[in-house]
Amino acid sequence: MADINFRKIDIDRFEEDVLLETDLYEADPRNPAQVLEAAKAKAASVRSSLSKGDILGSLVLVLEDPPYGPNVEEAKNLTLQTLVTVLNSTKSADIANVVKALSPDVQDSLMKYLYKGMAIPGWGDVSGSVLLNWHEKLTEAAGLGCIVRAMTDRRVV
Amino acid sequence: MAPPEVYNISQSPVTSHAFNGDRSQVAVSLNSNEVQIMQRAGREWKPVETLSEHDKIVTSIDWAPNSNRIVTASQDRNAYVWQQTPDPLTGRTIWKPTLVLLRINRAATFVRWSPNEDKFAVASGARAIAVCSFDPDNDWWVSRLLKKPIRSTVLSLDWHPNNVLLAAGSADMKARVFSAYIKDVDKRPAPSVWGEKLPFNTICGEYGSPAGGWVHAVGFSPSGDALAFACHDSTISIVYPGGPAIFTIRVSLPYVTLTWTSEDAIVAAGHDCQPTLLQGSPGGWQAVGSLDEGSGGAKGSAGASRVGTPGRLNSAAFNTFRNAADRGLASPGGAGAEGGDTELFTVHQNTITSVRPYDGVPGAVTRVSTSGVDGKLVIWEVSAMGALTGRIGGMRLG
Repeated sequence: MADINFRKIDIDRFEEDVLLETDLYEADPRNPAQVLEAAKAKAASVRSSLSKGDILGSLVLVLEDPPYGPNVEEAKNLTLQTLVTVLNSTKSADIANVVKALSPDVQDSLMKYLYKGMAIPGWGDVSGSVLLNWHEKLTEAAGLGCIVRAMTDRRVV
Repeated sequence: MAPPEVYNISQSPVTSHAFNGDRSQVAVSLNSNEVQIMQRAGREWKPVETLSEHDKIVTSIDWAPNSNRIVTASQDRNAYVWQQTPDPLTGRTIWKPTLVLLRINRAATFVRWSPNEDKFAVASGARAIAVCSFDPDNDWWVSRLLKKPIRSTVLSLDWHPNNVLLAAGSADMKARVFSAYIKDVDKRPAPSVWGEKLPFNTICGEYGSPAGGWVHAVGFSPSGDALAFACHDSTISIVYPGGPAIFTIRVSLPYVTLTWTSEDAIVAAGHDCQPTLLQGSPGGWQAVGSLDEGSGGAKGSAGASRVGTPGRLNSAAFNTFRNAADRGLASPGGAGAEGGDTELFTVHQNTITSVRPYDGVPGAVTRVSTSGVDGKLVIWEVSAMGALTGRIGGMRLG
């Protein structure tokens, strides 16, 4: 009998000119060790800026140049953890003003992390209600396009 | 501003539309393997002829205004050039197809005549663009393929006014500018901001989508010195290679089609169901407003509530649910007459898939036509849009 699982055959193996995931975005020039170092340094400076109560500064610090791509799982998790600390320590009344003050690039980056957090409920200190609260305010400030960009961007955080 | 002319030409989506030179007829494909030619009859369009030669869905149509030839591209991997000729039997004038040797092994996705109407380019899923010219010896159209460095399906094309350069937007998230120089057809082009020596398949520019999305639409400015491209990451970018400068504007829902109306204005449209005017210069660009604003749309009275909300989410039904969620007003279960109304307040009721110049000359387009998934063909006035500029402060397109 013919193999009925033909749909599961990896046809890309037979294609010489296959389009790889890595062709679709520019890779991070740093190596994984450097990325992890940077994430650790960021986590430390965010802690000190957070202790001064500077939510906006902390957010910008953690969201600028976030780690993306393969082989940097540890740095990605550390960054998410740092971000969640900032999100959790923000008073809900302040969220609207904070997200409005962010640059569009940082807003896009924040949206990616909100979706990442929602995809792993219960991980670390991730709280669904906090994320949804930020999501609502961020969508109001940055528009639907921000969500679309979080979905299309291959530089997955 | 005059209200837009709205024609409900079909219950099914309009895949593509192309007007003839004097705008008395329009060729449309209604999500089928046939092309309908429609003639203006007062306030409506009457089908007068059907072009059926394709086996699968027709993806794109272009009508050369001066030589009065139609070119169609289809998922059946073929393109045909249609010309009006007298029928040898009856003597009636009919549209006669000529086969094009495309040499592609995937669907043809998009087709456009060059400005001189002596060439056309067909985009395809075969990671290639077929640049076609007429071979009088064999009485057919032959093609040369632009292949490198395209990595995925090509979704849109636009010709430079010099008849040689071709812009392409592709699903590999890049917009590119190629030379489509054909020796027997073209004279050597004058040097431009895109380069001096331009043999076939020269890459004159390659621009990535800002946040990774298919490049749905590309367009050269009327002078050809700037390029605009719209991507699925809800951005539209304008490139000045001479500058060099790239301006990226973030929008609400992604645009899938665009056209330049003058050297400093673009009309773009897409999933937001309303055409948007963008204005700018080499110094910067911004979204100015929706052509749909204040046109009344489906429900004239709702005008006030429309500003700042994406067209897609602007219906009585959506507002009812939002009010219920935000303020605990009117339970959606109560379903008043208002709550059940899912009609959008915009003219188009679904994604706009094509916007094309309708009236005016390149560089001074005064009206544009749009068609979309809702089966509507709409003609919009753009000339009066300057008046909107004063209202930018109140606009929020995010």
